[in-house]
Amino acid sequence: MVIAKSPDSAVGGLSHRYLDVDKINRGLDKVTTDGATYAEVRLVAYTDYSATIRDRKLERAIPGQEIGATIRVLADGAWGVHSTTDIASLEQQMGPTLKLAQSVAARRSSKDRPISLAEVPIIEDSLHWKPKKDVRNTELSDRLELMNLLSDSASGHDNVVSVTCGWHDEHIHTEFLSSEGMNRTWSFQRSLINGMVTARDGSDVVSYRTRFGGEGGLELIESCDINQLGIDAKSSALRLLKAERAPSGKLPLIADRDLTGVYIHEALGHPCEADLVAAGDSCLDGKLGQKIGSDIVSVIDDPTIRGGFGSYPIDDEGLDTTEKCLIKNGVLTEYLNHRETAAHFDIKPNAGARAQDGLHHPLVRMSNTLILGGTHADLDELVEDMEYGVYACGSRGGQVDTGRGSFQFAAQEAWLIENGEITTPLKDVSVSGLTLQILRNVDGLTKESKLAAPGFCGKGQTVPVGDGGPIMRISEALVG
Amino acid sequence: MNLLPESALDRLQEGCKIIGDRCNAMNISSWEVVATQSYGHQIDIEGGKISLAAGGGEGGFGIRVLEDGRFGFAYLVDVNSADTAIKSALSIARMSPAVTGFVLPSEQSAKPVGGLYDSSVVDMSSEDLLIQADDIISEVASLDKRAIVTGGGIGVSANASAIYSSEGVNAAGVTTSHGVGVQVSIEENEQLTSSWQSTSSRSRISQANECVNRAVEWANLTRNPIKVDTPQNDSVVMMTSEGFSPLFSVVVPNAIRGEKLVREESFWSGHMGEKVIASDLSITDNARIPGGRSSGARDDEGVPTRKNPLIDNGRLIGSLWSTRDAAQQIAEGRIDAAKSTGSAIRSGHQSPPISGCSNLFLTSSQKGQSYDEMVESIADGYIVNSVMGAHTANPTSGDFSVTTSSILRVENGEVIGAIKQAGLSGNLAKAMKEGVLLGSDVRQQGSYSSGSMYLPNVLLKQGLRVNPI
Repeated sequence: MVIAKSPDSAVGGLSHRYLDVDKINRGLDKVTTDGATYAEVRLVAYTDYSATIRDRKLERAIPGQEIGATIRVLADGAWGVHSTTDIASLEQQMGPTLKLAQSVAARRSSKDRPISLAEVPIIEDSLHWKPKKDVRNTELSDRLELMNLLSDSASGHDNVVSVTCGWHDEHIHTEFLSSEGMNRTWSFQRSLINGMVTARDGSDVVSYRTRFGGEGGLELIESCDINQLGIDAKSSALRLLKAERAPSGKLPLIADRDLTGVYIHEALGHPCEADLVAAGDSCLDGKLGQKIGSDIVSVIDDPTIRGGFGSYPIDDEGLDTTEKCLIKNGVLTEYLNHRETAAHFDIKPNAGARAQDGLHHPLVRMSNTLILGGTHADLDELVEDMEYGVYACGSRGGQVDTGRGSFQFAAQEAWLIENGEITTPLKDVSVSGLTLQILRNVDGLTKESKLAAPGFCGKGQTVPVGDGGPIMRISEALVG
Repeated sequence: MNLLPESALDRLQEGCKIIGDRCNAMNISSWEVVATQSYGHQIDIEGGKISLAAGGGEGGFGIRVLEDGRFGFAYLVDVNSADTAIKSALSIARMSPAVTGFVLPSEQSAKPVGGLYDSSVVDMSSEDLLIQADDIISEVASLDKRAIVTGGGIGVSANASAIYSSEGVNAAGVTTSHGVGVQVSIEENEQLTSSWQSTSSRSRISQANECVNRAVEWANLTRNPIKVDTPQNDSVVMMTSEGFSPLFSVVVPNAIRGEKLVREESFWSGHMGEKVIASDLSITDNARIPGGRSSGARDDEGVPTRKNPLIDNGRLIGSLWSTRDAAQQIAEGRIDAAKSTGSAIRSGHQSPPISGCSNLFLTSSQKGQSYDEMVESIADGYIVNSVMGAHTANPTSGDFSVTTSSILRVENGEVIGAIKQAGLSGNLAKAMKEGVLLGSDVRQQGSYSSGSMYLPNVLLKQGLRVNPI
């Protein structure tokens, strides 16, 4: 029995094709003849490996292969979509997918604007971001060695009750064929190592999480100072055991690179997604060209940064990726978009379409989102004239209500700032606010901007993202 | 066209048998194969209209092999690559630590749980869903002409699964589900309010009215916010079932896992047999609820499920175990005795089982109160219907600090208005220790971690801070 066909050669070379191009193109031709204005097939094959150790003992290792494909058909201004692991059935599913699209179109009122797609260059090529060390050739023993290094450096204190380390690597191979003649194949890899230190003192239990990873093969993890990563995580966990509960209220805040990244991802990045703007669910609707932040705030989203966790060479509509400038000196300059929303707003497509895998259709998503650097030399310069505030570090994640423009993100650890000095360690600090207020309250950025720890973003589908920036000072935010 | 192909289950079982036979042929004496295959239709709604119709299916196989207490796992989509996957799993097993006493579960008879399959769901076509989606859009407009469905959708699925092992376990079944989610927004006078509500069932949902009504109601209730200046000390907070569930599901299921308790990674570690929450409250995990979203006759390693009392009248009396977790903690000397509680869960065929909850119930021996009675008993405090950032709560400590834009101010037992945004922080374990009132209307909620939460509205009188903006 075959749920999906996965030839042995799938794991190996870059040139293997899963799709029968001639057969799929025949199907695409037929569906357009039968009434589709556009149709595409996107296949994604993953070869991945996950592993977890706890206190140096292997808990689990999971090698796997997944293959999925999604057909999208646009007809009469509406979408029909079919996703499957049964690759052999793709051609026969194109007709029913066309009917789905036509059923949706038939229910639309004359007031509804039909969906159309922005014009894009038609490309036939293969593009492979080759890692220096193909992660698929890594032995479990090599993965364990690196995880044990992290575990060892994070252990070794009476209060540390456990250290869990995780590993995930993946090779992502995508094939894209469209009725417009697009025929592209691309591949790249991602690698990630993480650790969680749990510490206990009496009835107080705390945990601290650390992560390193990005686009690339084994060489990426080998480039990390894993020993220091573990030492820092242990120090943070032990510090949290003695940390005090944070003050709450409206306070000046300094955010490290991790939190700056999460802030800009949640507060600005999501409301900039053009599908949310078009759906009436963004506080940035109608604000292109308007001043929405302080002069020192400039923000980019850039999937072309090699090594970023949110990097990819081609978007999931087959477009070459490009850097997008979302804010320049406080002015909103660009929405993230895909072909549908580019046409909707009559703007240039900027390759922001991403799908979780081959079984999901593309949405407008972020990649690597960064605030650009400012003029302050370092953290000390941001702190020195702050009378009372909070310095918050490390991210436990965040969330945004894009329509209202309200957001929340949580820090892993924090300190009180008193009279220009970093003093008492704090725990369970979260920051919330309104996007359009907080962007105006950014009053200090250090010079160096770079990506922080890798993250994952959920929007119905989960995708890896990078974010970061400089160390950022906000004159007032709600700290809880 | 029927959602579920006629031979779906047979194909899965056939695939399991082929992989099991390959394990035997490779002289592996202890193995377990699981398989899943889902089929579904989905309609997305965006900006007040249907944005797309989708359908399809996905699935695969997972193999767990065991050799001298060491296990390895691999997953695959094509049975023809079974040998490669089995060899990978075996090589992993040989690098894994041996867990003395760990054997795969043997076959035990399992009584079926009713209400998990509804043929009328399987019979639903995309056209049926389109009609339901249209009805939802119309219903929202009829309740409030300013309101639109800015996001959400409706979907049905049929999920076939099978498990087959060297220990004689050979079971398979199909479950169905039907779900609705709506984000309703009202924008007027440069003020936008919104509310997300969802519901799901193993059976066909003929009317999504309750879900839609609540979304429109809360989008309205949170309009025209008032300014509140309150001291930043403890506040009385009533959390609706929808507002409480995300926090509860991040913190509590983790805390009652057996291995977390014995590893001292739970805030309830070391307190077995002691009072840990208010003495009228009980927490029970029950995978045998007819029609329950996380119900089943067997857990995800084939062990028959059961009702597991975890906290009884405030006292911690139980925890959740899978076979391996129990064996490992005994072997490592952290506990003298533990065995499977029928609580093994997996994230589909792509992962080996861990311990986790199914349908988690929070109940009280006191009579549940109506919404109005609870509001009256607040006197001075807040009602919270949803929170942002529940996933950032710390499951190890129970601490959380979240934000809400769906919060009402209560004074003298009456709602006086909405607040635009507020921070809400505290420690859930501590907040549940005393002064907790439960409502009478228990609703099934989704989860940020695992399982389903069956929760009423919850009034917490201590340990929470509210910071209105």
